[in-house]
Amino acid sequence: MIQLVWDGLFVGSFYALVALGYSMVYGIIKLLNFAHGDIYMLGAFAGFVVLSGVGGVTAAFSVVALVGALVAAMAVTGGLGVLVERVAYRPLRGSPRLAVLITAVGVSFTLEYGVAAAGANPRVFPVRVESQAWQVLGVRITLAQLALMAIAVGLMIALDRYVNRTSTGRAMRAIALDPKGALLMGVNVNAVISRTFFIGSALAGAAGVMAGAYYGKIEFLMGFLIGLKAFTAAVMGGIGNIRGAMLGGLLLGLLEAFGAHFLGGEWRDVFTFAVLIVFLSVKPTGLLGERVSERV
Amino acid sequence: MQRSTLLLAGTALLTSLLTACSGGLLGSEKAAEGPIRIGMAVPLSGSSAPIGPNMKNGAQLAVDEINAQGGLLGRELELDVEDEACDATSAVAAANKLVSAGAVISVGGYCSSATLPTLPVFDKADIPMIIPAANSEQLVQQKLRSVFLINPTGAQQSEAAIQFIRKRQARTVAVLDDNTSYSTDIAKRTTELAKQAGITVTNTSVTPGESDYGSTVTKVLSGNPDFVYWTGYFQEGGLLVDQFRRAGYAKDFMVADGSVDPSLASIAGGADGVFATMTQTPDTIEGAGDWIAKYRKAFNAEPGPYSTQSYDAVRVAAEAIKKAQTTDGKKVVEALEQLKDFPIFSGPLTFNDRHTLSQGGFQILVVKGGKFVLQDSLR
Amino acid sequence: MGRWVGPAGLLVAVAIPFVDASPYTLNVLTTAAIFVMLAAGLNIVVGYCGLLDLGYVAFMAVGAYTSGILSTAFELPLLYTIPAVLVVAVLAALVIGAPTLRLRSDYLAIVTLGFGEIIRITATNLDFTGGPTGIFGIPGIDVGGPAGFYFVCVAVVALAVLGSARLERSRLGRAWMFIREDEDAAEAMGVNTYRVKLLAYVFGAIWGASAGVLFAAHLSAVSPQSFVFLQSALVLMAVVLGGMGSARGVVVGAVVISVVPEVLRDLGAFRYVFFGVVLVVVMVLRPQGLWPVRRREPERVDAPVQEGVRV
Repeated sequence: MIQLVWDGLFVGSFYALVALGYSMVYGIIKLLNFAHGDIYMLGAFAGFVVLSGVGGVTAAFSVVALVGALVAAMAVTGGLGVLVERVAYRPLRGSPRLAVLITAVGVSFTLEYGVAAAGANPRVFPVRVESQAWQVLGVRITLAQLALMAIAVGLMIALDRYVNRTSTGRAMRAIALDPKGALLMGVNVNAVISRTFFIGSALAGAAGVMAGAYYGKIEFLMGFLIGLKAFTAAVMGGIGNIRGAMLGGLLLGLLEAFGAHFLGGEWRDVFTFAVLIVFLSVKPTGLLGERVSERV
Repeated sequence: MQRSTLLLAGTALLTSLLTACSGGLLGSEKAAEGPIRIGMAVPLSGSSAPIGPNMKNGAQLAVDEINAQGGLLGRELELDVEDEACDATSAVAAANKLVSAGAVISVGGYCSSATLPTLPVFDKADIPMIIPAANSEQLVQQKLRSVFLINPTGAQQSEAAIQFIRKRQARTVAVLDDNTSYSTDIAKRTTELAKQAGITVTNTSVTPGESDYGSTVTKVLSGNPDFVYWTGYFQEGGLLVDQFRRAGYAKDFMVADGSVDPSLASIAGGADGVFATMTQTPDTIEGAGDWIAKYRKAFNAEPGPYSTQSYDAVRVAAEAIKKAQTTDGKKVVEALEQLKDFPIFSGPLTFNDRHTLSQGGFQILVVKGGKFVLQDSLR
Repeated sequence: MGRWVGPAGLLVAVAIPFVDASPYTLNVLTTAAIFVMLAAGLNIVVGYCGLLDLGYVAFMAVGAYTSGILSTAFELPLLYTIPAVLVVAVLAALVIGAPTLRLRSDYLAIVTLGFGEIIRITATNLDFTGGPTGIFGIPGIDVGGPAGFYFVCVAVVALAVLGSARLERSRLGRAWMFIREDEDAAEAMGVNTYRVKLLAYVFGAIWGASAGVLFAAHLSAVSPQSFVFLQSALVLMAVVLGGMGSARGVVVGAVVISVVPEVLRDLGAFRYVFFGVVLVVVMVLRPQGLWPVRRREPERVDAPVQEGVRV
């Protein structure tokens, strides 16, 4: 039972990292960024390329190499996120909200099949984190799991501080609250939006590298399902709310673990979505969300 | 404009109707000459995209070999590959495209559910189908005379699996599938056979395309199995081998033929000791190293799952056309029915009256040093 | 010119098989026609009423499975299953709509997405739906081969598109657009928003389920893979690409979305890369859609939202 909780929290921390980007982007420009899962995928591939380039890394240096790859992948995906926003989303600001949804799906196709064109076979990550396991209260916990969760939590805390304590963070919140007002008060809206995309995409990229290093396999469609789940997690937590996204990710991980255990893997997603629907009918704004009113 | 222009356009259209181009409803069929076209619908996009190239290359290798020996009936062979995306709509479009392009025989078919709706399309056009990978029993349930399966069926594979499970004297077996028709078919049959044999058995599914199967592993291990059988593909298979091992499982693990790929071991970070139910492969046949070398040379890639079956499908097709001395669909079907002990990788091929292999030829492989080698021929 | 667009389009649709009647062309055309019907149905929900639905193919699945199961299990001609399909479609719309339509926009989006997935996974897991393989051997509508079936599709779809355009101008249609523009105001003016939204769902479901019947007849097989989330996204793309709320725009959008990937077939691995680029470019150039509705009244000035950021 406790093992289930641990399993759920571990998967949930991945969902949370990806959900953060979803939620940040939504909070600030009300866009469901369907290409976000593919940024996660590209993060994994960027890490793969960096690590393959380094060549045979010895075990002693693998941690250093991994951290290097993590940082490099975050830079690449962050930059890519900014580029995508600039090319496919910014020209459509002021257009119907759903128009951007279409370009997001278009970007998603382009990224997925751009990578697939280089070879659709799954790749094996050159460096893998393996470590011994401990039994704590009957739960198997590995050092690798702890390390990855620590990185995830660290990134989330850093983001939370950034949004709540810095002037850029304040500007982000201001735009989310009242874009026109923010503009009039001298906030450089475009710059702040670019920065939001950079941070959200970098977090997804980090999650991608971590997934590659832990699970060992990466492929061009790996972002699709997790993107869908991150969206679910973000909504569960109250979309647009950063702490909500973290909470939603963990909650989704737990729900899945329990669903798979008690109903079997084939009914897991039915269980998860059913809980989500019931939950939203009771509390229509998610865990921490505030009531938003906008139209399609 | 607009009214006059449109009227003009309308008249133009009507005229073109009356004069009726040759391809139209009022036109006549065009005669086919030139190369003998072999159609093949395989997944090249979507989640099964990695399989497509294996199949395409395998088929192409056979086509090249036959052409190097002077072709067939004095004509060259030409392989036409279309994307089926493992989706019914795409598959039917692909099948129709192949029919329109003048294919005389089809050697494609990977996802059973996408292949099913293509059967009537080919059948109506009198095009025999030699299906290399898709192997669901439902494919032959419609009793279309032009459908032939050269991949052994799930029934044959699950019998081999249970035979080995009993040999290992397993008491508690966990069967895992990925909720696709190929995989659940083997899983359900194996579960049924295990129950009949008095073995405690559980069956659960995972969602393909994910990375973390931790909660499924926890659930399965809570039943203390001494034998785990995975009936899906190698991508998830590799992850499962790894995650079961990390969770401390050290007993028997077996995979089905969809997981027999060198990538299984590399994804798992080592899979030595993992068993597999599999028909003969070039790796396990004496002297088939040449074939692998040829494949490598031609495509600069390793053969993957269903490369051999696709290669064989083309050879079977060519043999039948040669026997029939024509590409006429009905005659080719008769020739296929009369094939006797035609050598293919999985053994001598004779179709039974259901148009599946009369013997499955499954054996048990084991991973050693990252490679699948023969463990038990089950004979 | 407006009056001539519909008949001219119909004429073209009817004329093409006389020019090229290869099985492939007929197949692409039939698929496109069915897709137009789906898009016309989703247009009622998203375009007219402004409800973001990310699980629309669930209704198509309901229609396709109901007719497929009934016609194979009881050996009925497909046409006889239509009453049952309509009943099940309406029920599905009520079941899905009743608990969720109080939600707004993006929360509604995730809930509809969830329902779409629930229906697909349930169909995969149950035995009477044929499990992952689905239902096969469904009798077609036999009226003179594939060309005849295509003409049937064109006729049905033309009626469906006309019907949706009529609905737009009805009293109900005006209520839908009132809700789309300002739900609170509509409520205040005495529109029973909940019931009106539910009706949009019901109509959308009927359109989708009927398209499902055509789909089952066309493919002769129904399997869960045909109803993945991507399909819902594609139908939504057809609606937005064509121009939300514009009956003819949506027809154009649907034809583009279903035909372009076929045209790009020969690009092999780069097929979907190009498709993606095409989508982005088209949307950037024509953000209102290829053929948007002409607004009769000047666009309302949205006071609290700054133009530059309203996305």
